Amino acid sequence: MKRIDALKVLDEVFGSDPLVITCGATAREMASLSRKKTHLPLLDSMGLTTPVGLGIALGHSGRVGVIDGDGSLLMGFSILPTLKAYAPKNLIVVVLDNGQHASADGMFSQANVVDIAGAAKGLGLWVAECDSAEAMKSHIESRNNADAVSLIFVKIETGNTPNIPFYLADPAKLGADFKEALAG
Amino acid sequence: MKEANSRLSALVDGLTDWGIEQFVYVPSSHAAPVIRKLEANGVKSVMANREEEAVGIAGGLALTGVKVAMVMQDNGFGNALTALATFAQSYHTGFPIFANTRGGLGEYNAMIHSISESSPELLKKLGIRVENLGISDSVEVWRSSTEAVSKLAVIQRRPIVTLFESLHPGMETIK
Repeated sequence: MKRIDALKVLDEVFGSDPLVITCGATAREMASLSRKKTHLPLLDSMGLTTPVGLGIALGHSGRVGVIDGDGSLLMGFSILPTLKAYAPKNLIVVVLDNGQHASADGMFSQANVVDIAGAAKGLGLWVAECDSAEAMKSHIESRNNADAVSLIFVKIETGNTPNIPFYLADPAKLGADFKEALAG
Repeated sequence: MKEANSRLSALVDGLTDWGIEQFVYVPSSHAAPVIRKLEANGVKSVMANREEEAVGIAGGLALTGVKVAMVMQDNGFGNALTALATFAQSYHTGFPIFANTRGGLGEYNAMIHSISESSPELLKKLGIRVENLGISDSVEVWRSSTEAVSKLAVIQRRPIVTLFESLHPGMETIK
């Protein structure tokens, strides 16, 4: 599965729920498909996607989604024990794992040599692993009444979709729109 | 367990006056009295493992409209700078950060001043407002300034840092 195909499904599954999106090509590809006030793309904050999602889930009563990458998660791996400690059941973190820092010239990610899903399991987190859009969708839908935070690791193809333009949105506007959308 | 002296108690009182609902902290022996007292007062807390993680969590909470503060040590700003600039500042998340200072009189750590003394300038270089609370400021100033800076951070939709002087060993009798 290509990342952009996974993003199409995630946009549909999360609907109008808050969705925090990791930076670089992931944010750009999502913006090329769909732009919503409930989307919070982090344009240049590697490693911060899941922490931001945790904060939102702690302050918001409904379901909150996070689209992270293996590279971004590894840059802030200390968030995993924090997720376990505070475990908001309304938070679903989807890690799109292509085994590389695709936005950094496709550099190798250490997810190739360590089992990051296994590490999350070892911390006692609820983890699912899959490599298809159908299974990813099914895992997300199965967690709507979960009793703990959910991490879904999805294997995707390497590389970025070609000819996606840079995403030049004003982060202040993205933040204001998102806040307004959450306030209803 | 360290107890808050009158100034640290005033900082907690100022946060209470503001209506703090939640705080995110990174463990610190010098800020511990503030953290313990907030928790004892029933304010919900999140302990983060690193400062940039704390910025992400606090900023996320702020976007939901929660009155959230961050508590840390000033030597952790090196970890936090990119998150502060690219997320908290750029996305207009307004929340106050209270950081105890290290490296001053009574310090026992040989190298902590090498980052702590530079922290105010590093923050100002990013355009982050820095306020100070010192041991020569009155208890009343600690309380009112804490409330005012917290309100200002929300109104201005940006993180504002208050550097507060903690009491180093041998100076803990200061009231």
